[in-house]
Amino acid sequence: MKTPYTLFSLAAFAIMSCHDSHVIKSASCCAKDDAAVSSIISDKETNGNSVYQLPGTWTDQHENQLTLSKLQGHPQIVAMIFTHCTAVCPRIVEQMKAIRDSLPESVRNQVGGVLVSFDPDRDTPGQLRQYAAQRGLGNQWELLKGNADQVRELSMVLNARYQKLAGGNFSHTGNIYILDRAGNIVQAVDGLGGSVHNADAVLASLVVAHQEPSSGRPNEFYTGKIL
Amino acid sequence: MKTVNVILLAVCFLLPLKHFGEALPGNPHFSHRSNNRMVCIRGGNYHPFLQRKDQPDVVKIHPFMLDVNAVTNAEFLAFVKANPQWARSKIAQLFADAGYLKQWAGDFVIGGDKIDNSPVTNVSWFAANAYAKWKGKRLPTMAEWEYAASAAPVGMSKRARLTRIILAWYDHPNPVILPPVQSTYKNTYGLYDMHGLVWEWVDDFNSVGIQGDNSGTNVKSFFCAAGSLNSANKEDYAAFMRFAFRQGLQARYTIQSLGFRCAKDFFRN
Repeated sequence: MKTPYTLFSLAAFAIMSCHDSHVIKSASCCAKDDAAVSSIISDKETNGNSVYQLPGTWTDQHENQLTLSKLQGHPQIVAMIFTHCTAVCPRIVEQMKAIRDSLPESVRNQVGGVLVSFDPDRDTPGQLRQYAAQRGLGNQWELLKGNADQVRELSMVLNARYQKLAGGNFSHTGNIYILDRAGNIVQAVDGLGGSVHNADAVLASLVVAHQEPSSGRPNEFYTGKIL
Repeated sequence: MKTVNVILLAVCFLLPLKHFGEALPGNPHFSHRSNNRMVCIRGGNYHPFLQRKDQPDVVKIHPFMLDVNAVTNAEFLAFVKANPQWARSKIAQLFADAGYLKQWAGDFVIGGDKIDNSPVTNVSWFAANAYAKWKGKRLPTMAEWEYAASAAPVGMSKRARLTRIILAWYDHPNPVILPPVQSTYKNTYGLYDMHGLVWEWVDDFNSVGIQGDNSGTNVKSFFCAAGSLNSANKEDYAAFMRFAFRQGLQARYTIQSLGFRCAKDFFRN
């Protein structure tokens, strides 16, 4: 009776100790330090960590077909939600808006918002468009639907967890992800936590680092859309 | 309703014949070592191990096809050769951690032939998922896998024996060289090694561990979540460990004792 518990603890410990358990490198210790944040960016933007490597075509609220790589070129605030969610998702969206709104206007205009639906069956482009209107999400927001496989894959790269429930709703984790211009996850913020931590400072540094040519990155790399 | 079930069952038994074609030499993916045919698992009711109070305690499983063996190193090598972006030195960090295929001698070399026919391990969820797609298959869902794995070993009628096999396996350290597929037991569906050889990825392993935990790596919260849920069988420590293991996983992890097998929808065939 004791053995399974012991083994489980050992197994769980082994898993955790073998791995850097966070894909996300939190910048919490140094977000106000531009140099430190810049070094995270330059370390990461050239490697194979970009979420935008995921294949597949998504449909947005304007019925445009796009690959995730279309989001490249600007820092993005990203979360996974479903529009029929009445409790948790509206809070996540409000939190995302609060993060954007806390940015100075010049920075804010450089930062996009992305909501990806867990619910391809019910979240049609029309439904997403209506949701965007209800929630006051302007043209700097992309609301995306893909097929069930794409949603699963995206949840895997974001390390989000979800389960479809019998009634058609979803049980899910509620993180908000800050992505740099290349699509690397720079920070995950608890979308239900009440505090946005330093997400605004992180975003501001991402934008500022891009605007300063001294950061030594080739500009032609960022050929994403203009929001 | 009963008639429908009988018809489904009949089709289900006939269908595997069609899939023997996969192992025939005419198939471009043929490997002389591969005997990984699929069998049909007839649908039925699965009682989730972790039950939510607001959810039905029975999940309907539709008939599906499942590989009889875990995917082997030799089979996976064929995939990597055809899709070199999944080679050890090429794979993007997003899709696998540093241990990816570390048991191999090189990008396209398993090394020796001792493990050719052993389950491929040290593969991330992304790699397993890509392999399945390449084969025109998919990973089984957690409910499908658990349902198929709950079948008794051939010749052993009592479920208690299955639990004993599993717990005995948990109790022993993993062998340095993994035994080949079909080296443990066959269950009544005709599936080999569902327990006792390797852990296996499932498509939706990240549906475990949602409550109260965003990182998916917090053991303590698993216990808390487990406390707020109702385990279908509190004696079922074997299942408890599988779910705990899944909760600790992230899709890019590679683990020496974690492999996979593929599934297919029955009705789309």
